[in-house]
Parts: sequence; structure tokens; C-alpha cells
Amino acid sequence: MPDLKPVQDLKPVIAVILGDPAGIGPELIAKLFNEADIFEGVHTVLLGDRWLWQEGQRVAGIDHQLPEISEFSQARQYSGPVFLPMDTVDQDAIHYAQETAAGGASVLALLTRCMDAALANDIDAICFAPLNKFSMKKGGLQYEDELHFFADHLKVTDYFCEFNTLGHLWTARISSHIPLKEAATYITEARIIAASRLMYDSLKLAGNPNPRIVVAAFNPHGGEGGTCGREEIEVITPAVKACQALGYPIQGPLPADTLFIKARDGEFDAVVTMYHDQGQIAIKLLGFMEGVTVQGGLPIPITTPAHGTAFDIAGQGKANVGPTRNAFLIACRMGHNLRQQRIQHT
Amino acid sequence: MSKLKIDRPLLITPGEPAGIGPELTLQLMQHWGQQPLPDPGLGQSLPEVNELRLAAVADPDMLAERAATLGIAVRINVVPTPDAVPPAQAGVLNVLPVPLSAPAQVGQLNPDNADSVLSALGQATDWCRNGQAAALITGPMHKGVINEAGIPFTGHTEFLQARCGVERVVMMLATEGLSVALVTTHLPLAQVAEAITPERISQVTRILVHDLQTCFGCSEPRILVCGLNPHAGEGGHLGHEEIDTIIPTLDQLRDEGLNLIGPLPADTLFTPHWLNQGDCVLAMYHDQGLPVLKFKGFGHAANITLGLPIIRTSVDHGTALDLAGQGIADPGSLHTALGYAVAMQHEPSLHTKQA
Repeated sequence: MPDLKPVQDLKPVIAVILGDPAGIGPELIAKLFNEADIFEGVHTVLLGDRWLWQEGQRVAGIDHQLPEISEFSQARQYSGPVFLPMDTVDQDAIHYAQETAAGGASVLALLTRCMDAALANDIDAICFAPLNKFSMKKGGLQYEDELHFFADHLKVTDYFCEFNTLGHLWTARISSHIPLKEAATYITEARIIAASRLMYDSLKLAGNPNPRIVVAAFNPHGGEGGTCGREEIEVITPAVKACQALGYPIQGPLPADTLFIKARDGEFDAVVTMYHDQGQIAIKLLGFMEGVTVQGGLPIPITTPAHGTAFDIAGQGKANVGPTRNAFLIACRMGHNLRQQRIQHT
Repeated sequence: MSKLKIDRPLLITPGEPAGIGPELTLQLMQHWGQQPLPDPGLGQSLPEVNELRLAAVADPDMLAERAATLGIAVRINVVPTPDAVPPAQAGVLNVLPVPLSAPAQVGQLNPDNADSVLSALGQATDWCRNGQAAALITGPMHKGVINEAGIPFTGHTEFLQARCGVERVVMMLATEGLSVALVTTHLPLAQVAEAITPERISQVTRILVHDLQTCFGCSEPRILVCGLNPHAGEGGHLGHEEIDTIIPTLDQLRDEGLNLIGPLPADTLFTPHWLNQGDCVLAMYHDQGLPVLKFKGFGHAANITLGLPIIRTSVDHGTALDLAGQGIADPGSLHTALGYAVAMQHEPSLHTKQA
């Protein structure tokens, strides 16, 4: 008789959240759950208020009866998606297109439950529908954004940052919501190395075996040999070389005005940009609203569509599910690979 | 729509003789007339290509040799003065001669020729200033080699500014459907914020509006102005230059009757919703405005200097020494620059107004 080893469940558990209750999130998630085939290979747990899930389905014209569970740890007993109901907000407190403390607090409670599940290794990825920053701030968010909330709750001490992804192309930025005149002070070797490595590792986790990553220059024409700024010579080039010495095939720095043409044409999988507008202008040109935001550097991948709560069309059932589907699929891919890594390490 | 008539010649300076400028100029004449001039859509009917008079200001021997080397079937026709330049025809390049000091070798920079390259530019500029020529279209120069020759040179734009004696000029890049002017140009990014002063914004905006009116036939230009900071400062949370400098300056300019929209967050400004509401974008710094333009019009964009007493357009690329001599460089930008130089002759009487 051969030894019988316990069968390891290779499938990841993906937590899904409805997003801000006053926006298009609930209807998007209802549409997502109506998609065929995408739930094979993963355990999906939808977390939220029962009434809001029903409302989302009503708006989307969909009626799904999901089996209910009471703990994330039960998800592995089901092959298809399941619902984990929570009671976080009264229906009376929520109105479409209104930022409310109640809505924000509800979202924070759901996210906190997910973080705890992540810390307990009960889930392998999270995908959430759009949140509303103002609702969350009213509802008690103490951080500048949800990424910092995640990072603190998940006890992250290493570098973390947000990736904007659009089709094959991912971007990260060394500095983000700061005055432009301070951007130069953020250009450090340590940040560039950390962001480039994190990008590389994250793309691998997302299933890209050979990520081609380029670092953008900071100054016009890449500093023109030092005559138009010295950050390229003094910081960025040494950082790229340090990455290469560590075995990360990072390229650059390349001047920003032609870099995104090359990226669009498929020469690179990812661009590490130096400041907010350098990346955001390009990615919005390419069709940002179709994109997905990936929170990088956390213990588990967290994804969300790049667009917002779209209060102007909330409750009308016409929101496009495409970016939400992409966000879910990236969470599934990254969660799957993370799950394999975790099993190999145990 | 009135049809433009241009009686004076257009002058091309091919620029660095070791680079791609000479072959692009030759290619332009090799294929002359096979396609119409690119029309930037400034609202007037462009002349037929065979009605234009066109000449290069350069060393005729260098051009003849380059044509022979590359097998470009273009004959060099030396003409003594702009007045003598005949109408353009395929297979002939008219040249107003400015000899080089040393033989030019493809891909090999030679400081000995720096003086001659600058003389050609200066001569062509002067012919435009004194009314003997209609416009200057410049090919790429190499800053490094000119400086190596001991001649301080920071770029075409600065050279022309000094030659024409004007205090401020504005760099604008244009391609079909999008024009972007810059408040600051080749400045280290760390120095941009302090360069965004009320004086600079006012001067640049006034020059931009004026030249859009006189050269582009845009009677009431609507300018989309970028903020400096992410999200245009988000009410002061992400930087104060919008509140302290940009908004008050724009308000003052609006009082003078200028139609200005913004400051807008740059990442939303460059989307169709906003672009459809303006005639030109004013960006605060180089990499805020130019990536979008190159993205939309790569190979078909022109660099235009506003605020000069002459019409000057340029290619938007460099000398490409590594490509030179192979005949594979794309003449699209030179063609576009020529198209703009022609279309900008909107009210020829106004062009020498400041001279």
C-alpha cells in the first residue's frame, strides 16, 4: 500500500467585497457573479450585507442563490462561490450617490474582517469593488488611503505601493500624492530598487515568467547627460545597476516622452515612474478606466477596478463589469500562485 | 476658405551634417509632389506643392555627396539669393550655399563644422527677418559638438531668441488634433516649481494667444491650462502653486479677455472630454505635455517657436547619428514641420510685425 498523504487543496480562496454601498459596486459584483467559467479553480467568498447583495442583484437583474457560510475557513468545503453575510449597515442609512459615515464604516468593517482572514491564512487574495475615500474618512478611516490601512493592519514593514495595470502593462510610481517640488526628494536609490523588485516579483506572481521592466527618467530628455538635471546619473542609473546586480533584469532610465510609446507597443511589461503625473497621464491616455489597481507588497494580493464609485450612474444597472472582471481574474491568478508558494513552503 | 498664396521662399536648414538632417531634406525633394503637404487643419486651403519655392541653406557639395552615397536621385541646384529660388520640383534641391569647413562624414561629429552650421542658421534667420524668406524650417542640430567647438549654444530656440532680440519665446509642439505649449522647457524637474512665476505664465500665455490668433487663424483661442501638482494641487493638499500663483495669474489674464480653462489636473486634461473644449494645451513642464503629444503624433509632430518675429518650425527629433547615412530615417516630422510653416502664413502681413 502506498503512503496516503493528506490531499492538499491547491485552489486559492478569493474574498470579494461589494464596495461602497452608495456606488456601482454592488451591481458590478452581481454582474461578476453572473459570469460563467471564472469561478472554476478558485474558492470565492462574497462578504457583505445581505440586503446590499440583494439590491445589487436587483439592479443588475440577476438572481443568484449562493450557499451561505459563517466563517472564511468553511469556504474550502464548497467548490462554487459562497456568501458570508455580515451585518454592517442598515439599508435606511444608505442612499445612492451619497457619501455617508455609515457606508464608509461598513466598508471598513468588511475590509477589517478580510485583513484578519488574511493574517489567519484563510484567504489568498482580495478583490473589492470601488470604495469612496470620503465615505471611509467620514466612517473613521485614519489613514491617507486604503492602501496604508491595509499595510498597517497587515503589519507590513517592507516597501509597498500601488500598481496601475492596463492590459499587459503595469506601472508603479516612486512618489504619488505630493507637491511636484518635493518629487525630487523622493528619488532615492532605495525606493527605486524596492519598487522595481516589488514590480518584478508581483508580475511573476501574476503569471508573467519574464517580466520586462523599465525605469523612467526624472528630467526632460533623461537629464541630457547631466546638463538638464543629475538625478539620472546620481540616483536612477545606480539604482538600476543595483537591481541588475541582484539578478533583476531592470532596464532604464529612459526619457518619459518616448517611453510610453514603447510600452504601448509591447516593448515592456511594466514602467516604474518617478512621479504622479508621469505615469497617470500616460495610463489615462491608454484607457485607465478599463484598468485595474493592484496593491503590491502586502502579504496577499489585493485588487480593485481602477475606476471609482461612479455615483452619477449608480443604481441604474449600466455600469461596465469589464474592469471588475479583470480585477477578479488578476486576484485569482496571483492568489493561485501565492497558494502554490505557501503549500511548497509548508 | 481662402487659399494661401506664398510668394517668398521657405528655407530649410538641414542642421548637423553628420546626422539625418541632410538625407531627410534630400528625401523630401526626391518624393516632392507625390503627396500633398500635411494640413494641420488651421482653417485655410494650403497651396499646391508646385506653387511653393523651397531651398536648403547648407553646403551644396555635402548634399550632393550625401545624395550620391545614398542613391537619392536629387540634383543640387545652387542659387545665389532667396529671390532667385525657383518653384520646388521633384528631383531638385535648391541650395543657398553656406560651405562647411571640413568634409562631413556620416555619423562622425566634427567641431570644425560647428561654425558653418551656425552660420547657415543665422543666415537663414536673417533672410526671414528681413522679409526675403517666408519661414524657417530647421533640421536637428547637435548641441554637444557646437559647445565642443567653443561656441556656447543651448539650442535652436535660444539662438533664434537672441538673434531676433526677443525677451521670451514659447515652445509649442503640434500634431494633427493636438497642440501643446510649455511654460518651462529644458529645466531640471527639481527647478520647475520655482520657475512657475506670474511673470512667466503671463508672458507665455500672451505670446501663445497672440500667435494662435495671427499665425494659426484662431480668432479666440481657448487654452487648456495644466496645474503643476498632482490633481492640480487638490485645493492646496498636494501643493500650493495653483492657489498662490497659477489661479491668480490666470484670473488676471481672463480680465484681459483671454479664454483660459483651468488649471486642470494634467491627467484628466489630456482626455477627449477636455481636449475637445480647447484649441491648445499649456503645460507647466516638458514631460507633462510632450509624452502625450509624442504618443499621439509620433513621427508626425512639429516643434514650433512662438513669439519670434519670424515663422520657425522644426523637426521634433534629434540628429540620430546611429541611423544617419542609411536612408532609413523617417521624414514624417520634417514634412509636418513644413506643413505647419506653410499653414502658419495665415496673415502674411503680420509676420514681420515685430521685426
